Amino acid sequence: MSVTEAAPNGVARTTSAQFHSFLPGLTMPAGHAAAAADDLAELTDREVEQAYVAAEEERLLGHSHSLLTDMLSIEGVLADAAAAVVDDSFNKCFTSTPSDPWNWNLYLFPMWLLGVVFRYVILFPLRLFGLIACFAAFFLMFFPVKALWPPGRTKLAVEQRLIRFMCGGFVLSWTGVIRFHGPRPIRGAGRVWVANHTSMIDYIILSSYSAFAVIMQLHSGWVGFLQTQCLDSLGCLWFNRTEVKDRHLVAQRMRQHVHADATPLLIFPEGTCVNNEYCVMFKRGAFEMDAVVHPIAIKYNKIFVDAFWNSRRQSFTQHLLKLMTSWAVVADVYFLEPQRRREGEGTDGFASRVQEMIARKANLRVVPWDGYLKYYNLGEKHPGLIEKRRRVYADVLRKYLRPSEAGGGAGAGGARPGSGGGGRAAGVGRVEEGEEEGEQQQQQQQRPNGAASPETKKVN
Amino acid sequence: MGQAISGGLTQNDVDEVVGACKGAFSQEEVESLYRRFRSLDRGLKGYIGSEELLAIPELSINPLAQRVLRLFESVNFLEFVKLLAPFTARVSREDKLQFLFTVFDVDGDGLVSPDDMHVMLRQLAGSTLTDDDIGALIARGLDGAGSPRGLTLQGFKAALAGRDLGAMEVVVPSDLS
Repeated sequence: MSVTEAAPNGVARTTSAQFHSFLPGLTMPAGHAAAAADDLAELTDREVEQAYVAAEEERLLGHSHSLLTDMLSIEGVLADAAAAVVDDSFNKCFTSTPSDPWNWNLYLFPMWLLGVVFRYVILFPLRLFGLIACFAAFFLMFFPVKALWPPGRTKLAVEQRLIRFMCGGFVLSWTGVIRFHGPRPIRGAGRVWVANHTSMIDYIILSSYSAFAVIMQLHSGWVGFLQTQCLDSLGCLWFNRTEVKDRHLVAQRMRQHVHADATPLLIFPEGTCVNNEYCVMFKRGAFEMDAVVHPIAIKYNKIFVDAFWNSRRQSFTQHLLKLMTSWAVVADVYFLEPQRRREGEGTDGFASRVQEMIARKANLRVVPWDGYLKYYNLGEKHPGLIEKRRRVYADVLRKYLRPSEAGGGAGAGGARPGSGGGGRAAGVGRVEEGEEEGEQQQQQQQRPNGAASPETKKVN
Repeated sequence: MGQAISGGLTQNDVDEVVGACKGAFSQEEVESLYRRFRSLDRGLKGYIGSEELLAIPELSINPLAQRVLRLFESVNFLEFVKLLAPFTARVSREDKLQFLFTVFDVDGDGLVSPDDMHVMLRQLAGSTLTDDDIGALIARGLDGAGSPRGLTLQGFKAALAGRDLGAMEVVVPSDLS
């Protein structure tokens, strides 16, 4: 009986503007994304609260226990914990599929061994050589164009073509067998493309077909070099997820980009790589820009290799090596029908609807979790969540302590505890509220680093 | 050269586990739990560390997370299954109560003393109750049961005599792949 799983996705999305929510997580530094967590906090808050208040009311109405019985009645809380130990929907989103062994008998084993030797000794060097040659050609053409060609439409078109060529080289290096379904994306103001996210190769695959500008975390090393020196020309936006100022700047530039006639903008609203079996919560940035949203569903076939990039376990280079030593990367890409926000539909509803479309096409299971949870411990980050559940228990006991307060507590889930014993908890509650308000204000007005960050630190 | 999808459990292992948990889990459920155990145990150390447990979001916001952590951390698979056995319908009420008693008996001396209860209530109620409040509640509760120095297993069972433990049930997913 898991409280969070039971609630339908989207129920608890909140109404506050969330400018950080567009961030796609190509990779993320561990332990950050602090501010990005509040929609989750509110999401889980409300679900937990509803379920608990309902359960407790039922309990209180049904029986009248003695104090001792009430004190010792912890089986519900324990069952919740046990359920989480046995199974949780969150970690399943980020587990790679183990490769299916087929070298299971004496006849097939030599064949399999032959395949391994072929892949590593012949295929891989050839691919590596091809990739290096492709890169050399790309650099030889790209940098002169970038430096010498007079700015304008033609220059952008040439640069787009060259980047498509480079991405094509990548796809070739894993023998990508990619089937594209649906109309080819075009340039135009007021459009934004959103896709489910499995690995950074999502972007490479899409770009080998049609040029895209993408919003991503700035990487270090050779990926960072490509980002800042080459992809820059397409109007790709990047940022450091840890910098609040960066995020606001990107939010502004994203709006400008979408409403200008520029390279199509691609956003991964999940904000992190998921294993292509599940679909975590869509962040809302892409859906509140008054732009037409073009959903893209990407489904990888795991027959040869699992394309999920587990960025905590392997670097992108290692991930590429895994792909380059496999037989092939097989994927289907669906460009789905463009969606507009419907009359009276909130941003959340819109995001959920588009997520639903993508999930159905790519055969993904939708889960309500925020992908950023990968990077921090929910309880530590949001002590308020635990406090709320504790309050329900405390309220049951408090009625024995001060009979006059009976009935005031347990029924009203959101109510702050009254006088007396509730002192410290009320304090926690206040800080929490302060944090939420601070965040909302900050997001709505796009004010740079306001009061929110210090508050957040104080809470944690 | 065979490939064991169950991750290397033999019938002996399964029988041992099923026997140890008094048939609370079926063979299929034991296999499923084993896969879960191995996926939580990231380094395949043979036990689950507290960090790995806290990485489960649902568990990390549980009021009793710390107590559950103490019970579950560093146990082997057999112990792991035994700890989960009380959360099935196939286990007797007696066993469920016995488990709850173990949870409450923080220092493990066979007596739920006022100190044990204080630790538990602090976790359950958080900071909304002061130490004095908790002390008063425990004193009153234990006095009411006629055992101010603490509850024995029998006293504990008596206190929960009328309590429906139907909520103590957890579904083991049959397909964890």
